[in-house]
Amino acid sequence: MGLTERHELPVVSPDGGEASFLTTRLDDIVNWSRRSSMWPMPFGTACCAIEMMAMAATKYDVARFGMERMSYTPRQADLLICAGRVTYKMAPVLRRIWDQMPQPKWCISMGACASSGGVFDVYSMVQGIDTIVPVDVYVPGCPPRPEGLIYGILLIHEKVRGETLKNPALRAEDSARAGLPNLPAEVVAEITTPFGNSTNQNKVSGLLSTGAVSRPTDRHP
Amino acid sequence: MAKPELKDAIAGLESGPETTPNGVATARGEAAAESHPTVAALRAQFGDAVLHHTVYSGDEHVVYIVPERSQELLSWLRHDPGQCFDLLKDVTAVDYGAGRPLELVYELWSVPRRVGLRVKVTLPLESLEADSVEPIWKTANWLEREVYDMFGIHFRGHPDLRRIMMPENYAEGHPLRKDFPLRGRFSRAEQTRRALSAPPEDNYTPDELAVALQEERPAVAGGEVADERSHAAASADLDPAAASPRPNTAADWSLGSSGSAAAGTQGATQ
Repeated sequence: MGLTERHELPVVSPDGGEASFLTTRLDDIVNWSRRSSMWPMPFGTACCAIEMMAMAATKYDVARFGMERMSYTPRQADLLICAGRVTYKMAPVLRRIWDQMPQPKWCISMGACASSGGVFDVYSMVQGIDTIVPVDVYVPGCPPRPEGLIYGILLIHEKVRGETLKNPALRAEDSARAGLPNLPAEVVAEITTPFGNSTNQNKVSGLLSTGAVSRPTDRHP
Repeated sequence: MAKPELKDAIAGLESGPETTPNGVATARGEAAAESHPTVAALRAQFGDAVLHHTVYSGDEHVVYIVPERSQELLSWLRHDPGQCFDLLKDVTAVDYGAGRPLELVYELWSVPRRVGLRVKVTLPLESLEADSVEPIWKTANWLEREVYDMFGIHFRGHPDLRRIMMPENYAEGHPLRKDFPLRGRFSRAEQTRRALSAPPEDNYTPDELAVALQEERPAVAGGEVADERSHAAASADLDPAAASPRPNTAADWSLGSSGSAAAGTQGATQ
């Protein structure tokens, strides 16, 4: 599990100028509101969806993190949780849901199958949804426990915390990319070689660290 | 210590089908003539059209029939008051590989008589065609579509023979055949590109899309027979090219599949 891009708190703004007190405070407010009211779009296709439901139910109660409501329309969702295996026949549906979600939006790939195809290294199965949509957090497990998914959501929160409004590329939307694969063909070919998906994929798709991210702000004692 | 018949069944699994490519029964012995009354009646009625009768696992009776008369035999099994196999549990197929013929399998069950029968048709690889039993059991519609999708067996007289599991633009063949590579024939990059190049609507007829979009259909009195006609009328409203009762090819019923993916995105906003 890890972040594909780790944005540290901006000390220097992307255009080279120093971030002013005002913009960083504005970033803080915007990012706080975004991560405190994140609405997930559940894309549950397999057993991971059961764990996702458990996460949303009373015992784990993801409403604690502002995810009060599962958004069953992509138009009102911020976070795509792809829980379960995705077939090639389902791939254009997933891509369209991603395209329909308005910015700002993030994506969690939940479980081994969504992240790498898992055991389904077969003719019908997408070998990792990052070939279809950009993924922010991969949650390992088969299926992950609800705590695992909550940890993934907290990593998303961490990512949101580091974003800045002064970086226009961060939340840019390229309508010309709608409906197209997320990765170029040669990258897809590289990461989906037989038995290569689980070892190569995270590295090629830009994951900085394959280990758990240790953060000074970790909440455990 | 396994029972003798269980031993036979295991041996049968390892040796493959009990028929040679020309359809002649070989390894497994012929079951006793009176062990299944339906088979005896079939032989009396159709004679040489019944090739071979064998028993698996004690009470699973399998009858091999000639492909040319399969529809006639199955129709008789369905409609004869003494047989009344009114439930078609499954249509599937088996590929034993190594150039051996495919076996097309019909699993029959008679609800009033509580009797089952497995009917098999052996199809050589060079002519994978069989008569559709959709006119006999309506449920065979989707079952035969699955067999067509997975094994490439064409069903003569099927009203709507197209893929049911794989995407409509799938061009790699029929995945459950033994000669099909596990990961498919195309590269993963090509598979991804092809998958995303087709809007999901392409997998449905205008008929089915009308249900999804909850469009109004003309109400037709007169029950189920007229219902089929009204579906055709509804699809004609959507697409003039689809005026034939059930269009068969993708080109006949694609709903603007030539449009870009962006257009498809807009289509889903409704």
